[in-house]
Amino acid sequence: MNETFKQAKAILVSLKLTVVLLALSIILIFWATLDQVNLGVWAVQHKFFHSFIVTAKVGSLQVPVFPGGYAIGGLLLANLIAGHLYRFRLGWRKAGIWITHLGLILLLVGELISGLLQKDFQMRIDEGETKNYAESSRQNEFAIINATDPATDEVTAIPESILSKGTVVQNPSLPFRVVPKAYYPNASVQMRSQVPNAPPSLATSGMGTMLAVTPVEVTYKEDERNVPAAFVELVGPDGSLGTWVVSPLLGNPQTFDFAGRTWKLAMRPKRIYQPYSLKLIKFSHDLYPGTDIPKNFSSRIQINPADGGPSREVLIYMNNPLRYAGLTYYQQSFDNNDHTTILEVVRNPSWLAPYIACGAITLGLVIQFLIHLVGFARRRAA
Amino acid sequence: MALAAVSLLLSACGDDQVSVYRVPKEKEPDLPAAAADQGGTAAPAAPAPGASMADTAVPTASGDGLSWQAPAGWAQKPAGAMRKASYSVPGSDGDSDLSVTAFPGDVGGELANVNRWRGQIALSPLSAGELDGAVTRLDQGGLKITLVELFSAGDPKNKAILGAIIPFGGATWFFKLSGPGTSVKAAKPAFLDFLHSVHPQ
Repeated sequence: MNETFKQAKAILVSLKLTVVLLALSIILIFWATLDQVNLGVWAVQHKFFHSFIVTAKVGSLQVPVFPGGYAIGGLLLANLIAGHLYRFRLGWRKAGIWITHLGLILLLVGELISGLLQKDFQMRIDEGETKNYAESSRQNEFAIINATDPATDEVTAIPESILSKGTVVQNPSLPFRVVPKAYYPNASVQMRSQVPNAPPSLATSGMGTMLAVTPVEVTYKEDERNVPAAFVELVGPDGSLGTWVVSPLLGNPQTFDFAGRTWKLAMRPKRIYQPYSLKLIKFSHDLYPGTDIPKNFSSRIQINPADGGPSREVLIYMNNPLRYAGLTYYQQSFDNNDHTTILEVVRNPSWLAPYIACGAITLGLVIQFLIHLVGFARRRAA
Repeated sequence: MALAAVSLLLSACGDDQVSVYRVPKEKEPDLPAAAADQGGTAAPAAPAPGASMADTAVPTASGDGLSWQAPAGWAQKPAGAMRKASYSVPGSDGDSDLSVTAFPGDVGGELANVNRWRGQIALSPLSAGELDGAVTRLDQGGLKITLVELFSAGDPKNKAILGAIIPFGGATWFFKLSGPGTSVKAAKPAFLDFLHSVHPQ
């Protein structure tokens, strides 16, 4: 037992392990770069870097074939820390190396945290429009809206993942149960009249009775988007209220009355609401004079805190994002003949980590260099 | 091990919960949500969300042009950087937008452009075999016009597109009328008259 532990310790602190892990990470990055052709950036990050094991399809089985980013990064981190504990000794002469390695550790941990916690959203604002929510570009939600009140809506948002598992939802905000009957991660929705021999629809209420829902192969490409569809039955205390089809393709919500209240159903991109709103004052798309070549894209935005604090104006342009309340707003795109801006909204709690880490690594290297320089100069003088 | 535990713990947070909140009423979108929210990305084969910044560097076609006569009721709008001309077409359920654009080459071909338009109003893309059945081809004094009529599912007021694709002088010209379905339907005769007036300059 003791012998095994010693062997494990010897492997963990060895520089050979460091070299092997670095070599594996080079192969991983190279392979991932090639696979971007098939999968696109987003899926490649998940498959290769935000995973412990990279799997490949052999026949019909997914077989683990290579360590993923978390495994390699985690082992590198363990190797670095173990090296410090067992090999390095505290002392002023090694202060630079200590600081450099602390920077490296921070870099690895920061990347792990952003990989796990970073969230990307999109915010689309027309000129003059004020919005206080951003929408996910990948995830959807099934929103059941109690629209009875003339001024406000009560929204019960059910994540797509719950529909996909078929979990029955019973929530105190709803006088009925939500029973997912079928879920397709990617589906086309067409008028039944356009689809000859369409199978009978599961839907019994709303627009779904006129529509044919056809599952389509799931896409992982960066420039394509999956559009899910689901059949959902609502069951009240006295039995079924009907089965509706919901999909972001349907557009306006479907409305019905039940228990003296007006309800709306919609599948839409997942929203995050913020305690402040953004108003687009003007989107500018500047061209070099006399050409159609873009010079600059910018959005003049007014930030209005919901608590009545003072509002202020900011200019978001390429490489100059707005950092506000833990979110970062980048100028991503535009639409509607230059009257609509599309901002990328990123929540990354560890965005400062790489900056601090690089600072620490630089500082450590400079200190170590100076320690050697001073020692060398003293020896020469002696 | 600790690392694995921490990451499992963190990744388990938050995403799978039903949430309930109250918000002020909002105006419902004029377009199907997918088209409105994602800049026309509705179908799996549709282009990336929104207009890509890179796209704008594509020059518009120069050289030999087409000219046309717009009906009296249409109001001319400023053309903007990418458009050759722009009109507002009045309708009972809201005005429609008529745009004239031209780009060098075949701009990806007829099928890709018809599917791009279909994506904008949340219709699924056509296959190459289905294209011929879905378009009308006209020959007008040597101009080969491909006419497309697209109405979205559901409410007749949902967004619709009447489009014409005309290859001319090494470029492809697009005449596109888009707006609420009922307005677009009512403006179809005027749009066809407008197309008949298109001729080389």
